[in-house]
Amino acid sequence: MASAGLSVKLQSSSRSKVKDFLNANLINILAVVLFLLLAFFLLYPIVMVLIKSLRGPDGFTLQYYKAFFSKQYYFQSLYNTLLLGVINTVVCLVIGFCLAYMTTRGPWILRKPLKIISLVPLIAPPYLFALSLIILFGRNGLVTRMFDLHWQLYGFSGVVISQTLAFIPLAYMMIENTLMSLNPNLEESAYDMGASEATILRTITIPLLAPGLLKAGLLIFVMTIAEFGNAAILGGRTPFLAPDTYTMITGESDFNMGSVLSVVLIAPCILIFFIHNYLLEGKTFTTIGGKPVASEPRKITPLIKIPFIIITMVAAGAIFVCFAVVFVASFYKILGVTHNIILSNYLDFTSNQAIYNSIRVSFVAAVIGAVIGILLAYVIVRGKFFGRTFIEMASLSGFALPGTVLGIGYLLAFSAPPLKLTGGIMILALNCVFRFLAVGVEAGISKLHQIHIEIEEASADLGAGFLTTFTKIVLPIMFPAFIAGFIYTFMTAIISLSAVVFLVSPGFDLAAVKIFDAAIYGEIGLASATTMKLVLIVMICMMILNFISKKTRLGSGIATKPV
Amino acid sequence: MSMNANEKPMLILKDIHKFYGNNEVLKGVSLEVRRGELVTFVGPSGCGKTTLLRLIGGFTDISAGDIILDGQRINDLPPNLRDTRICFQNYALFPHMTVAENVGYGLKINKWPKDKTAARVNELLEMVELSAYGDRMIDKLSGGQQQRVAFARALSLEPKVLLLDEPLSNLDANLRLVMREEIRKLQERLHITTVFVTHDQFEAMAISDRLVVMKDGRIEQVGSPIEIYEKPANEFIAAFVGYVNFMDGRVASLDEKTRDAVIDTEYGKIGITLEQVDINPGDDVLMVVRPESVNISLNCGSNRPNVLCGRLKSYMYAGSIAKCTVTIGDRTMIIDQYNPRDAQQFKHAEKVEVEIPRSVHLLKKKK
Amino acid sequence: MKRKFIAVVVAAIFSVVLAGSAMAEDVNAYMGTSPDNNVKIAKFIKDKTGITVNQTFQSCGEIEAKMKAEAPNFSAEMVIGACSPQGYLAKSSGWSVPYVSPAWKGVPELFMDPKGEFYHMATFSFVLVGNKDRLAKAGYKMPESWKDLLDPKWKGEIVMPSPLSSGTANMMRFTFLALYGDTEGWKFIEALDKNIHHYSRSGNAPTDLVGRGEFMLGITSDENVKKRLDDGYPLLWSIPKEGTGYDGTTSFIFKNTKKLEACKKIIDLLGTQEFSDLLASIGYVTPRPAKNALYGTTLPKFVNLDLGKAADEKAKNNDIWKQKLRTDFK
Repeated sequence: MASAGLSVKLQSSSRSKVKDFLNANLINILAVVLFLLLAFFLLYPIVMVLIKSLRGPDGFTLQYYKAFFSKQYYFQSLYNTLLLGVINTVVCLVIGFCLAYMTTRGPWILRKPLKIISLVPLIAPPYLFALSLIILFGRNGLVTRMFDLHWQLYGFSGVVISQTLAFIPLAYMMIENTLMSLNPNLEESAYDMGASEATILRTITIPLLAPGLLKAGLLIFVMTIAEFGNAAILGGRTPFLAPDTYTMITGESDFNMGSVLSVVLIAPCILIFFIHNYLLEGKTFTTIGGKPVASEPRKITPLIKIPFIIITMVAAGAIFVCFAVVFVASFYKILGVTHNIILSNYLDFTSNQAIYNSIRVSFVAAVIGAVIGILLAYVIVRGKFFGRTFIEMASLSGFALPGTVLGIGYLLAFSAPPLKLTGGIMILALNCVFRFLAVGVEAGISKLHQIHIEIEEASADLGAGFLTTFTKIVLPIMFPAFIAGFIYTFMTAIISLSAVVFLVSPGFDLAAVKIFDAAIYGEIGLASATTMKLVLIVMICMMILNFISKKTRLGSGIATKPV
Repeated sequence: MSMNANEKPMLILKDIHKFYGNNEVLKGVSLEVRRGELVTFVGPSGCGKTTLLRLIGGFTDISAGDIILDGQRINDLPPNLRDTRICFQNYALFPHMTVAENVGYGLKINKWPKDKTAARVNELLEMVELSAYGDRMIDKLSGGQQQRVAFARALSLEPKVLLLDEPLSNLDANLRLVMREEIRKLQERLHITTVFVTHDQFEAMAISDRLVVMKDGRIEQVGSPIEIYEKPANEFIAAFVGYVNFMDGRVASLDEKTRDAVIDTEYGKIGITLEQVDINPGDDVLMVVRPESVNISLNCGSNRPNVLCGRLKSYMYAGSIAKCTVTIGDRTMIIDQYNPRDAQQFKHAEKVEVEIPRSVHLLKKKK
Repeated sequence: MKRKFIAVVVAAIFSVVLAGSAMAEDVNAYMGTSPDNNVKIAKFIKDKTGITVNQTFQSCGEIEAKMKAEAPNFSAEMVIGACSPQGYLAKSSGWSVPYVSPAWKGVPELFMDPKGEFYHMATFSFVLVGNKDRLAKAGYKMPESWKDLLDPKWKGEIVMPSPLSSGTANMMRFTFLALYGDTEGWKFIEALDKNIHHYSRSGNAPTDLVGRGEFMLGITSDENVKKRLDDGYPLLWSIPKEGTGYDGTTSFIFKNTKKLEACKKIIDLLGTQEFSDLLASIGYVTPRPAKNALYGTTLPKFVNLDLGKAADEKAKNNDIWKQKLRTDFK
């Protein structure tokens, strides 16, 4: 009996040894698993693109790169893209600054409406603006016909305008964030001592904002050059890198050159990603202790006030007009050409089918994305292993990568067994998951920072194993972050175009692609109606998100939206 | 600190009202501040003291009333045209500039020539004892040093009125005491009219010429620290400034000549010397009994006048002072025992005797 | 408790949503005719054989890209209605299943590969279209020769598809090269480029763009012209005197398909008289003689073409195209 008892004891001790091992190392095991997932679904496709750009039918070669840098056609594409990025960034920063300045220091009556309209473009896919410009200024456009204009919409200027409008909210949010964290007392002190508004701006406000502005600018630059929709729809004969990548792959099926274009497109993005996250981190002048207080409206001199008001009004007006125009156009077959109001655009079967598909894909992506995001956040914050920063970097990098590149990468990486995913719903979902992972991760990290590790230690002290602590303590507290990640991933996935345009398969349309096709084909009414439906869905998501973050004090940080 | 009472006041506030939307945050504030005086606005959060300060400084618009600075109505002047300078709670030092640049900012804006600016900056830095720190960046300074730079900057343009918005609130306790003294010394030396805002009543009492106690947008009482502490105008002020025990009572008798009065309380009769002339026999009153004015001794039983018997509920010895709570009947009294020599005995004592002093301030209860 | 409930609901929806995406038993096909025609053909196939065809419209270039990316594990079972270069590519790469369909007996040689690697269920051509109203307003007539298009008065008023993405445009290009010879042919294309407003992604787009009055002229595939005329668009169409080219509307079966029998049935259907009637009613030139709705009884004049050569030279021509043609800065 005694020996049996002893052996039983031994057995249970080895089981508990395993348990102890798991307890102690579960984080590390989890980390390894997550890292493999990231490596597989994020890094591997990129590597495939890189390889494809270097590997011809006869082995490794630089010929494709040579071709890229020597042929006039590609060079123009690169030049246009970079120029677009710079112009866009500057314009967005200026407009965003004026808007943010007005909503934080301008007259009370203007603040709320301006803020709302600055953020409104967030609920729309960026290509909504291309669409609205076509409705107004296209060859059959309302304004074109009314004033007999001869302005060429398709081309560089059209792309610049639509991209600018699309990214104003991004600029606005980042600058407003920085402005809010700027102690209003600083400006008031300067004001007290006699500085005019212009002087305050010049000597105080802008120098202090400079790091924040730089960060915002870099981000806008990256998003602009990577965005596909507007450039593809309005580019006309002007080449840009993102649509060219698309044409290269889907039109000429030249994967080698397509990969080269992708690598060229990625390079500035990755560079800026590094600068943004690791060199500029913590370089802002933190000036507020305690909660940021809404600054009282100051008497702004007309010298500053008038140009600012003009700029903000023009921008706000443009945004409003774009939405209004698309809304109206959704009820006509082709606004300005046909004259009867119809509902058939909204009832169109294939586009509704596409929306349904988009919802399905986005839903799957959102669930997976939120789960992985939470787990990653936990591992990043609580893990104590080497390479933690690397995992964090990797999970955030999806944001920085142009969608077109990841689309091509997935096409290259997952079209052959044993990894064959093309042709199904999963490849679309996974693509969205890993591109937009950053938000769920960031939300999780910020929430985790609110939970002191002592809470978990207390739980462990009271006898709970790692798993129990995780499921009973950590997860419930992180639930809001999960929801945030879920909704955000859903919202961005459903309107994203750049990657999925490569991955759709026969019979499985997605709403974004449908809109794109319709816009290019000239079926403006259909494109508008489908866009409006997407806008509605996103709006609902944002309201839920807003409601939840208010209830759970999630805080800001859910700022950007790549597509 | 001598002030000629006949001198024209430096700052006059006439019936100031301020509305934020429908919310009235200042409900008719009037005040006169004399030259060279340090006046402190003190009160609980939300009483309007900071709003009032900002109004004087010109950062907020006035809804009704007048502000007159040195004889001139300044209602409509922007901050830089008023001869007031403000020093914010968080110092609002420009983080991207050095100490010297911060201090000299106002001078630069007002187009002082470079050499004059440099001279003045040096003068100011010397005044706040930061001469060696001219080239330092702000984030390299300690809290106290930043405080002084903010002060120097506020003084740079020689304002007529200095506005200090809780300048010491961000410092730790010890530093506050030191800085408080320094500020007061400097203010006196420069004879500069100063309006100080704080929520710390002890700080207010320590450095002010006069206190302005505010509540809910109104001035409750204006007076010197001694006046406010010893003769609070109402229950709120009494409780706000320092600790207090209230005892209900009714004036039973009063000898007009000797000013001896007897107050009927639930604990018995308390004899006091009544200096206040507005209190008459038959009035219901609230006695304002300060904890440090009550004598506490061991053992009940003596039948001396004004002595009450109670149970010692707690005794917290802290070296120079022992804080006692004594239950008398169903009330609790807080008593501060200074220089507690019998601490050991008090610790184990149960029954104690408290002696209510004869000079107690009375508040007339509203019928 | 509430959270658990939510989690369960989410999981349930998740699995239902995923499950719903499992493909039912039917055939995936890459179809490249036009969105409208794809639907028509798919419906016809379903009506006659009961097989459901899942398709999304892709241009010939896109179909080729997909083939290259996915080989040898294609996401579709077959291709219906791509262009001949895709057929040649499939054959030479070993991606197609040779199947000699008995239903195609008696069809002229040019409509199928001798080994049955691919079939042309029709040929299509390109035509010149013009907007009746806008031409009338400007007082212009439809050009009679392809060379008339070089007239400066048409500057910015012509659209045609891009050979980089459209099989039709590829056909246009190799037709002009065959018609005028390589040197003169490229000269013509470059001169024409000056008048082209932009190159559309798909071969049928110019029909719509011109029909809607956005441009005066277009060089477009003939596949959608009849439909748009029936729809009431104010279109004029003609084939200039030098004639036009043609290309096969190519279909073939992917190797390794699991639905070989179903695919074979479809190929068989494509060779029937009924199918030719269907396509002819749209305007295609069909394997079996049928009344052509667009051309009537007079088939167009065709330029002599070597489709195999055209397929071989496609990549080279694309390269030259990109080098020679202007693209705007800014």
